Amino acid sequence: MEQSEVFERVVKILTPWAKNDEALSNVAMETSILDELKVNSARLVDVVIAFEDDFDIEIADEDVDSVNTVGDAVKLILEKLG
Amino acid sequence: MDTPRRLPWNHLVQREVGRLLAPLWMPLVVAIMRFYMGYRLAGRDAVREKFARIREARKAAGTPLLVCANHLTLIDSFLVAWALAPTWRYALHFDELPWNTPERTNFGSNWRDRISTWLMKCIPITRGGARGEVGAVLDRVVALTRGGEVALIFPEGGRSRSGRVEVENAAWGVGRIVGALPDCQVACVYLRGRKQKSWGAVPEKGDVLDVDVTCIEPKSDAKGVRRSRDLARQVVAQLATMESAHFARLEPADAG
Repeated sequence: MEQSEVFERVVKILTPWAKNDEALSNVAMETSILDELKVNSARLVDVVIAFEDDFDIEIADEDVDSVNTVGDAVKLILEKLG
Repeated sequence: MDTPRRLPWNHLVQREVGRLLAPLWMPLVVAIMRFYMGYRLAGRDAVREKFARIREARKAAGTPLLVCANHLTLIDSFLVAWALAPTWRYALHFDELPWNTPERTNFGSNWRDRISTWLMKCIPITRGGARGEVGAVLDRVVALTRGGEVALIFPEGGRSRSGRVEVENAAWGVGRIVGALPDCQVACVYLRGRKQKSWGAVPEKGDVLDVDVTCIEPKSDAKGVRRSRDLARQVVAQLATMESAHFARLEPADAG
């Protein structure tokens, strides 16, 4: 799967959780999920589970430690997809 | 998470310095709560007895014990520790005083707060901070609990803005801790001042605080983060059940 396709799907999944519409409209790989998109940190787990369901992958708790930006999420998913 | 049973040296130092100075700060903290603030714990003796049984059963079985409480005020960790055991008990068994993970922005702004929280077995956390940092704190709690220490976690991930336990808005960090500790027992503590309508800094002066404790062992067949969320929800659901029971007990008194 191409990085651009994963990026688009990640952004689509993040959209309902993002509280900052402006940051969402300018979203890039460097955009911070918590600080800029203002996704509630407690709800990050639901986002990660949505990644699991959408991409049919399994994500461990420790994997989430490295996810701060949209690009981190894309990179993690690409790793999981092999 | 592969963590050793022995306490990391930094926590060992923190605990032992806290223990040495405990005769100074512990009676002072309790005296402030009891006499200056005028708090009274309703059902304190029964809860202490119940918690002592939980603690002894855990020791006998050699299983980890985590204390999880609802969260309404900034001093909940003090109140919970006070409710669960008398001061003399902590002075003699300092390892039973729960480790705590306060929000860094509330307690880490000046050196006095930082020293105080360090002495009181706190590991500050930045809620909503960089995931790596949050994960590292959770790993430290796992290491401590696995080493036989008791840790106190507020599974809602912050003071409840609605004033009620919200299962759907539960954070998942506690699930990660429980999931990393086989056979982990969770002592769920529900504590609330009768004048406490919502969240705040401290309970009102002179308030009567109701407290209850119940031990559960959360289990889940799920994997990964789904498992953590599942385990966290079981803990928060138990607190919600205790909250319902709390208000059901108060209703007849209110009606009267």
